[in-house]
Amino acid sequence: MIVKKYRSEVVSVENPLADIRTVTLRPLEKAYKYNPGQFLHLALDEYDPSRPWPESRCFSMQSSPDQDTIRITFAAKGKFTARMAAELVPGKEICVKLPYGDLFSSDHDKAKSVFVAGGTGITPFLSLFTSAAFAAYQEPRLYFGVRNAAHNLYAADLEKARGVNPAFRLTLLDEEKDGRLDILKILGENGPSAVYFISGPPVMIKNFKTSLAERGVPPENIRTDDWE
Amino acid sequence: MKREEIIKAVKAYHSAAFPAKAFNREKDTVRYAGRVFDENELAALVDSSLDFWLTEGRYSETFAEKLSDLLGIENVLLTNSGSSSNLLALSALTSKKLGKKRLVPGDEVITVAAGFPSTVTPILQNGLIPVFVDVELPTYNINIEALKKAVSPKTRAIFLAHTLGNPFNLDEVLKVVKEHDLWLIEDNCDALGSRYKGKYTGTFGHIATFSFYPAHHITTGEGGAVATNSEQLAQIIRSFRDWGRDCYCTGGENNTCGKRFSQQFGTLPLGYDHKYVYSEIGYNLKMTDMQAAIGSVQMDKLEAFGEKRRANFKRYQKIFSAWEKFFILTQPTPDADPSWFTYVLSVREDAPFTRNELVTFLNERRIETRNIFAGNILRQPAFVDKPCRVAGELTVTDFIMNNTFFLGTFPGMTEEMFSYVEDCVAEFLGRFAK
Repeated sequence: MIVKKYRSEVVSVENPLADIRTVTLRPLEKAYKYNPGQFLHLALDEYDPSRPWPESRCFSMQSSPDQDTIRITFAAKGKFTARMAAELVPGKEICVKLPYGDLFSSDHDKAKSVFVAGGTGITPFLSLFTSAAFAAYQEPRLYFGVRNAAHNLYAADLEKARGVNPAFRLTLLDEEKDGRLDILKILGENGPSAVYFISGPPVMIKNFKTSLAERGVPPENIRTDDWE
Repeated sequence: MKREEIIKAVKAYHSAAFPAKAFNREKDTVRYAGRVFDENELAALVDSSLDFWLTEGRYSETFAEKLSDLLGIENVLLTNSGSSSNLLALSALTSKKLGKKRLVPGDEVITVAAGFPSTVTPILQNGLIPVFVDVELPTYNINIEALKKAVSPKTRAIFLAHTLGNPFNLDEVLKVVKEHDLWLIEDNCDALGSRYKGKYTGTFGHIATFSFYPAHHITTGEGGAVATNSEQLAQIIRSFRDWGRDCYCTGGENNTCGKRFSQQFGTLPLGYDHKYVYSEIGYNLKMTDMQAAIGSVQMDKLEAFGEKRRANFKRYQKIFSAWEKFFILTQPTPDADPSWFTYVLSVREDAPFTRNELVTFLNERRIETRNIFAGNILRQPAFVDKPCRVAGELTVTDFIMNNTFFLGTFPGMTEEMFSYVEDCVAEFLGRFAK
């Protein structure tokens, strides 16, 4: 899909937890076009088409491509995201470019799919779960680890996923009560022939990927949404 | 000096340097093709040069987007020529990333011999075997019955041009593609804007290629494009186009994947700079932003250009239908609406003159003609000893080599030019009329 630059307006900013914000954007000129699981680059500085693209950061589209608006979630941890927290307010005009990434675009077996998400790492999965394309997955299963119950911000989207695909099964882990996601247990429940999608903190992705590979899951069956 | 002032001056320059000129039948040439442009192409070209970005940039994005929107194809990759596009399209199918579907040396690719060499050369350059099938008159496209007979267990792909803008029989070709699980590359270099059953050519196959050489439906000088709806093929084609690299950042961009220094590729050290990881044996075949600037303006004229080409075809058909006893007149493929690249016609075997006698006469009167490219490519010096298979006889192909030529239908043709051609044709043919 062609990468396009979209002048966009911030429609809303939700701040459900101190460090987490969900931003909804709407396009000012042309409709957004992307596939589930893809991500965008967001720039805060004004974009002059005759000059190079300004400093930007990557964010997964959390919304379904079927929707007119895009939702992204970020944690204000670094300099750029701190600027985002301060500057992104309703009515603010920014520029995003998209789509990037091929998490779900490249060919994969949909017979048995296991989605493993830690925290806000669930966002690229939500764009698939809430789109019509999710209906094609036969036995989709999500293992979702959150810090505590307050961090489970996506109940509505996950409920919607059940509507799109009634075969969808969810295992929610409250890490303060239930402990962390255990990839070996997940592998034991699903076997090496399933396709594993992993998204979350970089260390989690790296460890889970290594564990699955060491236990015979073929590389093409391990798909990760990992950024630096 | 402000950019707006420069652009204004450029537009004024265009008016002075390229004034509209009446055709002078005593000294002007009736070209077979030519670029048609106005002040807007010149302004966009200069605007792009003032950015001095030079490589793929904002105008490339606009141009690719316009072509993608027109065709309804998700991925459009701009290249430096139609021939490069053909090379990329075919080379992409050899990628290991395609697993069992990839083409490997010795696999067969069905094509025709009556065409342009760069539809055939990528097949040879990739160690594959071209299988030549005869064409038919009056469409100059592949003979479907011969195509069906040509398929062998080694056949893996079909690579065909829509001859001179006339779509080949897509329904029948697609049936063969489906039945034998083949790849289909549409060489759409001569057919941008043509339709088959209401749908643009270049949107039916797995990959389509386009040319923007000055003779074509729109121009960027040198230039071309590859289009595909497959995200995987698009990624592979981009890699082949951009040195074979795995990274898909455009010029001047860094780390658009967000994992530039953290991936593992083969035995390279973990985190080796993604910008310099090569996953294909590639080329550098990108378009410059200045070319794209011209293309993005030309795209806005494509529909009008196409209508003019169709009207010009009709005008020629009117001229030559009066002499049908000497010529086989071309016809559109059933269900097709060609945006004609040229007006093609063949001198009948029993005509009292030869093709070469007629075209010599016309060229002496400054009316440009061209043959259908290579004629029978198997008879070209470079191809005589190349590995290939000929499926059946190439009787019509040889006929075309000896008897066929074309005249221009480009939008720069005027009624004065047609009138001049009509008079010259009458002068030549009049002597055989009785």
